[in-house]
Amino acid sequence: MSSMTEDLKKVATGTRSIVQARSISKVFRRDSFEVTALDKVNLDIAEGEFLALMGPSGSGKTSLLNMIAAIDQPTSGELLVLGENVFRFGDKEIARWRNEHIGYVFQTFNLIPVLTAFENVELPLLLTRLTRSERRDHVMTALKLVGLEDRVDHLPKQLSGGQEQRVAIARAIATDPTIILADEPTGDLDSHSATEVLEILKRLNHDHHKTIVMVTHDPHAAAYAHSTRDLEKGMLLPV
Amino acid sequence: MNLPSFIAKNAFRNKRRSLLTVLSISFSLLLLTMLISIWRGFYLDEPSPDAALRIITRHRVSLAFMMPIFYREKIRAIPGVLQVVPMNWFGGKYKDDKPENMFAQFGTDPEEVFKVHRDWKVEPEQLAAWQRDRAGAAVERKLADKHLWKLGDRIVLIGNIYAVNAELTVRAIFDADEAWQALLFNQTYVEEAVPYAKGRAGIFAMLVDSPDAVARISGQIDEMFKNAPQPTKTESEKAFQLGFVAMLGNVKAFILSIGLAVVFAILLVSANTMAMSIRERTREVALLKTLGFTRGSILSMFVGESVMLAVFGGLLGAFCARWLLSAAASSPAMGGFLAGAKVTAPTLIVSLLVAALVGLLSAFVPSYHASKLKIVDGLRHIG
Ligand SMILES: Nc1ncnc2c1ncn2[C@@H]1O[C@H](COP(=O)(O)OP(=O)(O)O)[C@@H](O)[C@H]1O
Ligand SMILES: [Mg+2]
Repeated sequence: MSSMTEDLKKVATGTRSIVQARSISKVFRRDSFEVTALDKVNLDIAEGEFLALMGPSGSGKTSLLNMIAAIDQPTSGELLVLGENVFRFGDKEIARWRNEHIGYVFQTFNLIPVLTAFENVELPLLLTRLTRSERRDHVMTALKLVGLEDRVDHLPKQLSGGQEQRVAIARAIATDPTIILADEPTGDLDSHSATEVLEILKRLNHDHHKTIVMVTHDPHAAAYAHSTRDLEKGMLLPV
Repeated sequence: MNLPSFIAKNAFRNKRRSLLTVLSISFSLLLLTMLISIWRGFYLDEPSPDAALRIITRHRVSLAFMMPIFYREKIRAIPGVLQVVPMNWFGGKYKDDKPENMFAQFGTDPEEVFKVHRDWKVEPEQLAAWQRDRAGAAVERKLADKHLWKLGDRIVLIGNIYAVNAELTVRAIFDADEAWQALLFNQTYVEEAVPYAKGRAGIFAMLVDSPDAVARISGQIDEMFKNAPQPTKTESEKAFQLGFVAMLGNVKAFILSIGLAVVFAILLVSANTMAMSIRERTREVALLKTLGFTRGSILSMFVGESVMLAVFGGLLGAFCARWLLSAAASSPAMGGFLAGAKVTAPTLIVSLLVAALVGLLSAFVPSYHASKLKIVDGLRHIG
């Protein structure tokens, strides 16, 4: 096992690899029955990649994204993200690592209803050492990037779904993370808003060199990515 | 925005619920603050320097029994006793039996009563006028203000204990602390009308030369009359006043049990509210953790939110208590009963600490569970 980790690290120092998954599996045990969400998945994602993950509902897409975000731990296999086996860390280090390196975009936006657009974007920055004015700069840069600099003081309920998702993207990029993980980001949006969101993701990848993994059902959305991988019943289909 | 302001926004996100929580905590803390203040006034307050020099002798068996007046001179002969004055409860009716018309009336010796109570303030001419008029009355200022009495006014007290109506003229108005909202008159007035009142005293109030002499002199007096037909009980003025409180029953246990019940009830109410409010935010907890919030920060955020609400309620309650008690203390309807009960700074601090503790304890368990929530489970949470 340890020699395998060494090998992976060597690869990582060559062309920078963002995600290296070797035979990772995830089994959920609930009471007496088991669900295999991921089944011996091998996956490499290079820096600067824009990958679309497709597959039917329940095929393990969210589970895979969660492993990469260190939100959940594989049951078996080796997973390195940014060359690190994150699960070696304690709770505090994992939290800080996620804050620094991962931007997560959800299908349902998950904005805090009592906070304005500005404050929602500022939230992850509260955990950093940035000063108030530095935070302000970061927030405004992120909101400009998603075209919402004129909605700073709006509460989520005063925004459209597409605008809410753009605030959520701004929040995901506020800490300038390396990786953006988007779980069906256009799933709840009309096609116009969906296109706006996809354009933003494309720009983040192209102009800002973010590595993006996007889960989607929608072939139109997948077309924005460089490449597409399919999951089925927890198994990653060959390219 | 910073973390404290985020916590504050969360605390008041559901305005109606937060308001109700704050109000219920403030009501309980209002009660608790009053209880602490009354306790403090009864049991913890040091008497004023003058009051610490005063002792009271009464009949050993009951206040209803009288002592012979010759005790006065025997007591005066004890070294260390500076002044002795008899005080006789008259218990007359003023106008009617309404509570607002009830007040203390004492038949006493005008020559000496202001020497025992050196802290009472009276104009020398008024005192002299009262001493000259056998049918004169000296009334405490707050009592006089309440009944709109002025110098020269006539006051008729219908005798209950003694078969005589006291028809008095206000000759002096004096200032005393709240415990003494009383009317004083010359005991000779009663004795002349009712011969059997002669030669007897209800209590003797003494001024002694030093606080250290109180215990010795009290013991000497009681020893002196131990085998007399009317044995005595002598104690400090403070202890004597507490004796009235004790007549209400086991006041300490009563105050303590109400206080505990109040705190416990509010703890349950607050715990229930916090549990509900935290459960509703399960998805948000998962989101915050995804953004990089640690277990510890989630825990302290929720606990901080609850403590914030509780202290807010506590402040409100404590200041209402302060206001209520100061109103009650100066109201003659309370007869000076709550005179010593003031909300002091230490009481305020104790109340706020209790409030903070209620906030902390009520939020701890649900906050702890929230902090341990697995992100995957939180994100899948519906509701
Ligand atoms: N926390 C969990 N507990 C139990 N089962 C889960 C959990 N998360 C996912 N699953 C199960 O794992 C499988 C894959 O789920 P998921 O990764 O959410 O799929 P997808 O995102 O492709 O719809 C499903 O059968 C799902 O029910
Ligand atoms: Mg999913």
